[in-house]
Amino acid sequence: MKLVSFILACFVVASAAEVIPRAEAAPAPRDHDKASLPWLSDPYPSTYTPLPRQDTLLVNATVLDGAGRRFEHANLLMRNGKIVALSTTPISVPAGTETIDAKGRWVTPGIIDVHSHDGAFAAPFTSLDLEESDVSETSRPATPDVWVEHSITVQDPSFARALAGGVTTLQILPGSNNLIGGRSVIVKNVPATTVQAMKFPGAPYGLKMACGESPKYAFGEKGKFPGSRMGNVAGVRDEFLEAAEYRQKWLDYLSGKRDKRPDDDLKEDTLVGVLNGDIRVHWHCYRADDMATLFDLAKEEGFHITAFHHAVEAYKIPQLFVANHTCAVVWSDWWGYKMEALDGIRENAAFVDAAGVCVALHSDSPWLGQRLTLEAGKAMASGRRAGLKISAEHAIQWVTLNSAKILGLDTQIGSLEPGKNADLVLWSGDPFSVYTKADQVFIDGALVYDRNDPARRPRSDFELGEPSMSDKPAAVGDDQ
Amino acid sequence: MMDASGGRIDDATIVIRDGHYESVARGAPPPSDARVIDAAGHLVTPGLMNADTQLGLVEVSSLPETRDYGVNRGPLGAAFDVQYGLNANSMLLPVALGDGLTRAATSPTATPDPVFLGMGAVLRVQPGGDILDRPRAAMYAGVGGLDIRREGGSRSAQWQLLRNAFDEAKTFNPSRSAAVPRDQLQNAVNIAALRAMLDTHMPLAIRATRESDIRQAVALARDYHLRLIVVGGSEAWRCADLLAANKVAVVLDPEADIPWTFDDLGSRAGNAAMLVKAGVTIAFSVSGNTIQLSHNAGSAVREGAGLAVASGLPYAEALKALTVNPAHIFDISDHYGSMARGQDADLVVWDGDPLEPSTAADVVFVRGVQAGRVTHQSLLRDRYAPSHAQDRWPAAYRP
Repeated sequence: MKLVSFILACFVVASAAEVIPRAEAAPAPRDHDKASLPWLSDPYPSTYTPLPRQDTLLVNATVLDGAGRRFEHANLLMRNGKIVALSTTPISVPAGTETIDAKGRWVTPGIIDVHSHDGAFAAPFTSLDLEESDVSETSRPATPDVWVEHSITVQDPSFARALAGGVTTLQILPGSNNLIGGRSVIVKNVPATTVQAMKFPGAPYGLKMACGESPKYAFGEKGKFPGSRMGNVAGVRDEFLEAAEYRQKWLDYLSGKRDKRPDDDLKEDTLVGVLNGDIRVHWHCYRADDMATLFDLAKEEGFHITAFHHAVEAYKIPQLFVANHTCAVVWSDWWGYKMEALDGIRENAAFVDAAGVCVALHSDSPWLGQRLTLEAGKAMASGRRAGLKISAEHAIQWVTLNSAKILGLDTQIGSLEPGKNADLVLWSGDPFSVYTKADQVFIDGALVYDRNDPARRPRSDFELGEPSMSDKPAAVGDDQ
Repeated sequence: MMDASGGRIDDATIVIRDGHYESVARGAPPPSDARVIDAAGHLVTPGLMNADTQLGLVEVSSLPETRDYGVNRGPLGAAFDVQYGLNANSMLLPVALGDGLTRAATSPTATPDPVFLGMGAVLRVQPGGDILDRPRAAMYAGVGGLDIRREGGSRSAQWQLLRNAFDEAKTFNPSRSAAVPRDQLQNAVNIAALRAMLDTHMPLAIRATRESDIRQAVALARDYHLRLIVVGGSEAWRCADLLAANKVAVVLDPEADIPWTFDDLGSRAGNAAMLVKAGVTIAFSVSGNTIQLSHNAGSAVREGAGLAVASGLPYAEALKALTVNPAHIFDISDHYGSMARGQDADLVVWDGDPLEPSTAADVVFVRGVQAGRVTHQSLLRDRYAPSHAQDRWPAAYRP
């Protein structure tokens, strides 16, 4: 009974319009535990364990806490991997606590990139990847059955570059060629030899979807479906209609109305996860009219859009984002490289934020992914020039707490509030300045990056023994 | 005021007359007949130059009909010359200008030839006007890269073809058509372009990133007495002394710090600083997944310069790499690049440090003419400003 009510509760949340046939639920419900539901099963579980850590006190820092507050001359204590205290008055600590003088330096939560392809669109990018890249499964327009974690090259040097830019958590997404591109994976930015060891324990899955030019050209140019925007929409509607049938089979089975357990279906499992609100929808989409259509589509099919990504025209329809409780994930200044990006403006984040929409800056690029605080700074500056009052402590949320909310992880990361994970960055100065560097980066209280300590700057296996990377061209082959 | 060599003058009076710099002096009174702009508290620099863009040659990158920087069929190789395709009404130009960019090298990207990409130009970022500053500013060639299979699969072949082309150009005599041997590889139009290149000392700009290719380029330039520009140059730091000794300039992307392909495994953030320390003349361009190359050619190149400074490049050298250095590299230093008397009055008043990406240009002059502020983006910004949230008429009725 417990299980059935759980499923039904999800239905009510996901699809208020749907009438649940409670009166017909006479047969005895089956007893299952949640994890046995195929869309909630966890067959590739996280094996992450925090790296060795030491309780640490930062003193005398300028802190942007990620939750909208700023503290000067502040002290912050990390203990057992958690934020324990943040205060402008002295914090007493037991002996053995490492103390770091952060005078003149700034502290923010660990930066979160909600849209990365690191590991999937990995370096070194090769000529073979030009044909078949691991970031998109391009043989079918809808691939909800693929999971991008099965594509991750953990030795991608881009992870360590992002870490040097203060990025502690990334959502890796499949590419945008497909209408439904597959499941995302959320990873902690720790060096590892398996993707399981990077996976954020318990993080919800996301589903990458794409509208507009990417899918219609990826498939239409090959003479395949979809070849138009209306084809894009029809394709997604069809997929969810099938998923609803599959879900009904499960409902009937779980309520006892159906005897045979439905056959597992990797595609439908993911979509049912979306319909039930367990898998979060991240939809690549640029134009206001496209996004408005998809808001209606989501209502029609009974699911919630967590965020539109890229959303270069979000500023034209902020009220629809508010009404649908959907976040806008944007760049600071990309525009013009394709028709649907033609109307990109630099005030997008600030305008949408001013309307009350949850906004985050994303990278979509291993280069930009090293500089998300600069992205937030640019977006803040553009908004200020347009007359909006935006503080640094507000803008930092665009790459911290808002990002955590989008990933469904805001109870654990995204701000420096007591009880949260000790993911933070000690910056050499103002994090919005081009001259500022991440001096130290902590994940779950472990010092995972130290700019001034080569032993704490991870390097991927790929970078070992490559003569062209060596400072001394003759060093490889020498005794080292 | 900060001039292009990084020299700083506080409380400067800058006099522009008839489109040119007349004088720059500390505390001097303005001429009585001049219009005066008070820039107190603001930094002023020369207008900036991006050393590798496709400005004027592209509108919407995904649309072939708006792209004129490459040619994929027909006889043109080395002879492909982008100057005829420049579009002064490109909506990218006001955006770049608004970001403080007043000059740009604009370059070809492809021809059917296995190595030659064609000839680039320098343009004035002067929307609607005569934007061609210097045609045929450099001959471009490309070696290596992910699509090397197009070239037959080996960069060795590319270097051989390049050398052969210059051999053929050297012996080409335009007055005697019979001088073209039967098995000459370069056709008549391309060989004429290459011969003109040699005769006018047009620089050869080689797009290359791998150290071995950069060294080959230096050897080629030495053997054929060419002025060489390396464009890309991710691994140039590895042969910085060689480049300095041969006076080879490098146009680099300061954001390139990932071993992205096997051709640029040695990419590192310190490239600019190491090259300058060795005495190499550098200039900047920022690709940003090719998205920033033209559409944000002004803002991105400033941010890139700032990143180079953050990785050890002296500030004054970064400013030179945005002004006088590209002016010298592309032979326009007789009229652009500094605030010396007689130079074109390209000037920017900044609202902060120009190398900070959050800084914007307050006032921009090109050749003494103050730039307008209106762009496609500024009009969208004004049309959809939050202050219009309660308007009952559609946005289309607003300016």
